[in-house]
Amino acid sequence: MQTKEITFKHVGQGIPRRDGDEKVRGLARYVDDLNIPDCWYGVAVRSPVAHGRLKTLRYDPAFDFDQVCVVTPEDIPGKNIVDMMGQDMPFLAHDLIRYRGEPLALVAAPTRQLAEQAAAHIQPDIDPLEPLYTLEEVIALHKTDRSKLDELSAQTIIKGSVDEGLAAADKVIEGEYWAGHQEQLYIEPQGMVAIPEKDGGVFLQGSLQCPYYIAPELIVTLGLPLEKIRVKQAAVGGAFGGKEEFPTLVAGYCALLAMKSGKPVKMVYDRCQDIRYSTKRHPAWMKYRVGLKNDGTITAIHVDFVLDGGAYTTLSPVVLYRGILHTTLGYNCEHVFVDGRVYRTHTFPDGAFRGFGAPQAIWGLESHMQECADALGMDAEVFRLKNYLRAGDKTGTGQVISAEMDPPAVMLETLKRSDFVNRRTLNTYGVPRDGKFFGVGVAFFGHGSGFTGDGEMRLQSKAALDLDWLPNGKPGVNIRISSTEMGQGTLTIMPQIAADGLKIPMACVDCPLPDTKYVPDSGPTVASRTAMVVGSTVYGAAEKMKALLEQYASDAFFGGHPCHLEDGVLTCSAVSQSQTFEDVARRLLEEKGMQRVVHQFKLPDTVVWDQKTFKGDSYPSYSWSANIVEVEIDALTLEIKLKKATSVWDIGRLMNPVLAKGQIEGGLTQALGYALMEKMGIRDGLFDADRMQTYVVPTSLDTPEFDIHFMEYPYPHAAPGAKGVGEIPMDGLAPAIANAIKAATGIRMNRIPITPESLWEAMPSTRKEIAS
Amino acid sequence: MSVSLRCVEASDLLLPGSLPEALAMMAEPEPPTPLAGGTDLMVQCEAGARKPPARLLSLKQLPELKGIDEADDTIRIGAGATHWQIRNHADVKVGLPGLVEAVSMVGGRQIQTMGTIGGSLANGSPAGDIAPYLLIADAVVEVASIEGTRQIPIRNFLIDYRKIDLKPNELIVAVTCKVLPEGAKEGWRKLGPRAAQAISKIMGNYRGKIVDGVIESFAVSLGSVAPTAIRLPEVEAFLVGKPLSEETIAEAERLASASVKPISDIRSTAEYRKWVAGRLVRGFLTSFTKGNEGSEGSEGCES
Repeated sequence: MQTKEITFKHVGQGIPRRDGDEKVRGLARYVDDLNIPDCWYGVAVRSPVAHGRLKTLRYDPAFDFDQVCVVTPEDIPGKNIVDMMGQDMPFLAHDLIRYRGEPLALVAAPTRQLAEQAAAHIQPDIDPLEPLYTLEEVIALHKTDRSKLDELSAQTIIKGSVDEGLAAADKVIEGEYWAGHQEQLYIEPQGMVAIPEKDGGVFLQGSLQCPYYIAPELIVTLGLPLEKIRVKQAAVGGAFGGKEEFPTLVAGYCALLAMKSGKPVKMVYDRCQDIRYSTKRHPAWMKYRVGLKNDGTITAIHVDFVLDGGAYTTLSPVVLYRGILHTTLGYNCEHVFVDGRVYRTHTFPDGAFRGFGAPQAIWGLESHMQECADALGMDAEVFRLKNYLRAGDKTGTGQVISAEMDPPAVMLETLKRSDFVNRRTLNTYGVPRDGKFFGVGVAFFGHGSGFTGDGEMRLQSKAALDLDWLPNGKPGVNIRISSTEMGQGTLTIMPQIAADGLKIPMACVDCPLPDTKYVPDSGPTVASRTAMVVGSTVYGAAEKMKALLEQYASDAFFGGHPCHLEDGVLTCSAVSQSQTFEDVARRLLEEKGMQRVVHQFKLPDTVVWDQKTFKGDSYPSYSWSANIVEVEIDALTLEIKLKKATSVWDIGRLMNPVLAKGQIEGGLTQALGYALMEKMGIRDGLFDADRMQTYVVPTSLDTPEFDIHFMEYPYPHAAPGAKGVGEIPMDGLAPAIANAIKAATGIRMNRIPITPESLWEAMPSTRKEIAS
Repeated sequence: MSVSLRCVEASDLLLPGSLPEALAMMAEPEPPTPLAGGTDLMVQCEAGARKPPARLLSLKQLPELKGIDEADDTIRIGAGATHWQIRNHADVKVGLPGLVEAVSMVGGRQIQTMGTIGGSLANGSPAGDIAPYLLIADAVVEVASIEGTRQIPIRNFLIDYRKIDLKPNELIVAVTCKVLPEGAKEGWRKLGPRAAQAISKIMGNYRGKIVDGVIESFAVSLGSVAPTAIRLPEVEAFLVGKPLSEETIAEAERLASASVKPISDIRSTAEYRKWVAGRLVRGFLTSFTKGNEGSEGSEGCES
């Protein structure tokens, strides 16, 4: 399907968020707002140690446990396993405990207070074992004695012969880069309610990204068939990946309590619980060794890429895959070797977070590419443009950059808009001017759209459109997809796309929140795939629905002559008559009832991927961007201020430029926090910054002047031609800032977040001053 | 999203109509916990750092704690004055410009609207935004109980980490500051982990006067580097009578850095704080040579 000749009416327009009004007015109903009669409250009895063996649970005889419901492993109807990758996480720890706060039992009671009291009267006896907490400890062992580490996943990428490439180099540049935990810090904490159904099933409603992760994952634990586990999304106050795989845990806790007690059971985490006991971005360490010719040619890229996976496998292998695929992305090199590993530590399992391994990889890649340029004495943009992938070149996995992509275009445009070549003459290189250090830095990067490799083929995502009566009493079309609104605009862009596929007004299209009772599986709301993959599937369904309506109108109104639906009107030129969409749909509904069409996503047949060797087309397509930033550092205090961020984005065809820009401003702000502020340590096995007071994210006063510009290179194989926008804004700002800090101070900062404190430690001149 | 406030759910709220009535309640054998804006208390209870008090005594409605009054060379600020009221008060803007800047950096507008100067002092945090200014403005804290009133200089009022000179039956009634003398200049700087809505890593205030290039007077204070906000007497003593030269500034920076013993915590490190303590003093002194108006402070929110 070629998209170029299609014209769009709604797609590409800055239509306001459909759910904006109810959210601004406080009318949206989040899970804690739902009025559920006779609802009990659930809490977990959590392990006080991070690593150990559970001997027994002691119940305080003074407490009346008859007034509450307690679930222990013996009460689990199915297997005591969270059905995720690795199959290594129990719902309730019964023997080995692998993180502090791991649930040992669950309690529900008519009030939260009583549930908390009951939980406090259940005491575990544990034989403690030695815990391993930090990536620093992991890397020390990775370098010396890997047998002491528990490897959760490993994967390599091999292209050519990296030894040959390094041997051919004039120079080999090495560097190590570190990134810490990052918390999603969505506004609404995790929450779920489970309601027992009369047929023995369970109805789950909550704050979640992926209804079709929860339902199939709970089959194993609850011992129920899929059709008896119904999952519905409540309004979601932000997610950023934090509500991708994690809600299965809360859903399981609530469902187990609801099934045993026979009561609806709700759990809503407070902020402190949410930070302590939910997923974070994986801490990462990378070591780059890059072979260079004196003329700037890259002869070899060797990368060690290690993630701290936390206590259990969960999604870590997939995060690792996306991570290693981005460690060399964008650069043309014959000889590549990437060695990726995930090791277990005794902290809460790390999980999905906007970017999913790519922000860590690009932090290392773009920092190191600048080191390479500096080592050669080449200008940042000259070195990058010399080596960047162009149409016809091959990535590290051998994927050919197709003709409709032009990765360097965004770089050239960003250079122009930021006036980089002139602005960099102001770089201070360690000698402050008027009390300030100043530097301008660049990062240039891509992000794979959709699932890794042939994942989109295996997912077989479906979208349905129902011609039905809408809540306003008029006939219209309901979009039935499992993609969720979590702030990114799904509920707005899908009606834009469907209206364009059907050629009817947007007012005739509705997109209710997903409920597995009504929606097919369109795959999870992750991987920057919603606009590209699900949007295209909705578009395909809309074309089918348009054909259905045209066929019906032809038979019912135009004596069998063909007709054409355009702008909400079906016109038959043979008889020179027309009917409105509303009149045709009304008669069809009255005559035959609700009409459903289903469409399934397909990748082009040319996509080839080998999951074992990691060779082939690692993503259906790529979005591209360059970020150029100006940073000012106060020489008096070493406070770092991001002054300006110029960025150009190829995210394919724009579905909604206003929402896309919002995604990018928000993502860049989140990336600014990752780069300069968001610091999470481990204290006694728990995350130390466990409140909004201590976990510092940027406010609007910390944001720079943003110059955001789009260049549209639509994805040709999935109309309307979006690529991904959700994650790529998270990818490149940290290295751009670090590169600007180097231009300002002459110092390479290789660990994020970069703070005045870490800069102070790295600047020998400041140390000298304090010593004097 | 609904919110459960453990503090409010668990506590009885007393609403005295006047200061004498409030003091009488405070004189009971187990006095209630005074509640001003609640911006610290409620957070502490919610975070589990403090047990919700059985009884809270609301100060918000007490007329005696309101009001900001200027006398000859002082301004008396009722303990119940909110940061927002102080920030927007015409006399305070002229007489205590550094205080306006300090309160402008307390939290955001919501916190400034609720939080009070008395509550900030009573919380006794070494990272409080107000105490360092009160130190350079030679403030006197007025506390009251049914036994009478005490006037306590701020440097004596701040005893130790979260320890202030306030008996269980006393309430803070007012704070009286000396206004900026003619020809003097004051300024302020707060370093936080972000531009606003942040608890300080370090903060400082100064008030000084330079006549013909010679330092006639100089008071300087720092917060978040010791168990309480502190003045730097060694630095002050060194500076008075000295010419404002680079040599003087460098020595003051060294002295300031050497005279503090900060700790490492979740917001910053001891080493950085020690270094930057000197840097703040350098910045304060440099602001005289630059002759710029007001403080070195970065922009407050909603200014």
